[in-house]
Amino acid sequence: MSSLYRLMLATQLTRGRMAALAAVGLIGVLIGFAIGNSDPIDPDQAAFSFVDGYGLGLLVPATALVFAAAALGDPAEDATLVYLWLRPVARWRIVVASFAASVSVAIPFAVVPTVVAAGLTRTGRDLPVAALCASAVAVTAYSAMFLGLGLLVRRALVWGLAYVLIWEGFVARSGTAAARMSILVYARSLMADLADREPPRLAASVPVAIGVPLAVGVVALALTTWAMRRIDVK
Amino acid sequence: MSPTIEVDDVSKWFGPVVALSEVSCSVEPGITALLGPNGAGKSTLLRILCGLTPPSRGEVRILGKRPRHDLDLNGRIGLVPQQEAVFDPLSALRFVALAAELHGVREPEAAAARALALVDLDPSVERGVGTYSKGMRQRVKVAQALVHDPEVIFLDEPLEGLDPRQRIRMIELFQRLGAEGRTLVVSSHVLDEVERFGSRVLVIAQGRLAAEGDFRAIRELMDDRPHRLRVGSDAPARLAAALLEEGVVVGASIESPSSVLVDTMRVNDLRRALAPVARRADARLLSVAPVDEDLEAVFRYLVSRR
Repeated sequence: MSSLYRLMLATQLTRGRMAALAAVGLIGVLIGFAIGNSDPIDPDQAAFSFVDGYGLGLLVPATALVFAAAALGDPAEDATLVYLWLRPVARWRIVVASFAASVSVAIPFAVVPTVVAAGLTRTGRDLPVAALCASAVAVTAYSAMFLGLGLLVRRALVWGLAYVLIWEGFVARSGTAAARMSILVYARSLMADLADREPPRLAASVPVAIGVPLAVGVVALALTTWAMRRIDVK
Repeated sequence: MSPTIEVDDVSKWFGPVVALSEVSCSVEPGITALLGPNGAGKSTLLRILCGLTPPSRGEVRILGKRPRHDLDLNGRIGLVPQQEAVFDPLSALRFVALAAELHGVREPEAAAARALALVDLDPSVERGVGTYSKGMRQRVKVAQALVHDPEVIFLDEPLEGLDPRQRIRMIELFQRLGAEGRTLVVSSHVLDEVERFGSRVLVIAQGRLAAEGDFRAIRELMDDRPHRLRVGSDAPARLAAALLEEGVVVGASIESPSSVLVDTMRVNDLRRALAPVARRADARLLSVAPVDEDLEAVFRYLVSRR
């Protein structure tokens, strides 16, 4: 498993991806710094809205998408998957190793900048801790989902981005019942609860806000394993 | 000797495109060449044999087991895929050692170094395989297929990109592996390559098994068809008349003042008779070259016979 994990790390961490996502993370950190050094009417709300919108709403899903969709999607596309598939290795091991590598690289590029930005808003210790927990849970769920998307769908980045912007960005904030099917709703609930802020619409309790995204992640990994068994390997 | 590979009435289609049609054959230990033009269905058959894609109809058994869902079987087969792609950032040693690790080979780095040495590559080179030439990459791909000492090895166009000296070394390696009792299925679209394997041949054309048997039998089958040759001579008319009189050609046409096109059904007899006939006709032979020797023509002919 460790050799698969190391391989997946090496293949996902391309210079281009690292540079682009580091830049997006840095922008978040700079905005957090700007909020902390400005004088908004409601500093707490401004900080929370920023971490919610930029961190949880954009940086976390986008970073998870870029790495996780590439983890199995790139080998499937460039025909190197055969070098993993045709080994006496259980498919779930390949999937779990890819997932672990995706989460490992998404944390420094998404979770860390989100937490640092939350800290730089200078609104107390609650928000950074809440941002850490919420973004970690969200990264886990998104990475599992996008791992399968990358394996099954061509142009997974485009479809994934459409999902992030339309479903997670628009439907999740609509307050309708469909929003319960978005990861962002649970991550926001968790962050609001831990940061002691006003709960968003469709708020869930902490156990539910943690449990549902993780359950979604487990189901996504199971489906990806199932797909790995049935995929046509180039 | 019992077959290690059994293919029973296998067909494969991708939407409306039929890639393989009702292929049945069996393969025993030793080298078996899969010969056919590009796009004939060789790679599809190899992918089915490895379990990379399921047949649309029919069944395949490798070492008595069904590929695709049998992980133990994966440990007993090796594949050199046709595509060039490898894990570019890894060194050759790391790439092959990874294969060894995933196969549960003890001391994977040592096994990888041995496999690389088999294909004349230096295991100490640390640059990524992405920087390698096509021929070097091809050899790395062969090394990763051999590192776990498999019983059955599938090689899809393994000689592509190799220089002549490397080709000879690689063919010797395949022959050695075959002589050890392993089963090697080597696909190629180059007739001369297959001839050098000196092996059993399966000819695939237009998705169908067009012919099978010992290479010499296939060669005769291929020779036993209308051939057209261009014969260069300083006296083409006199030479053509002599060849017609000898009965080794069925038709002749003067192409230029220095060449004649001849049609024959007995190409080997013509080859033997050409020099003595030319001498008797007092004509100098300048050149002899086949006009329709391309593989497509040969395969079309074989398919039309079935």
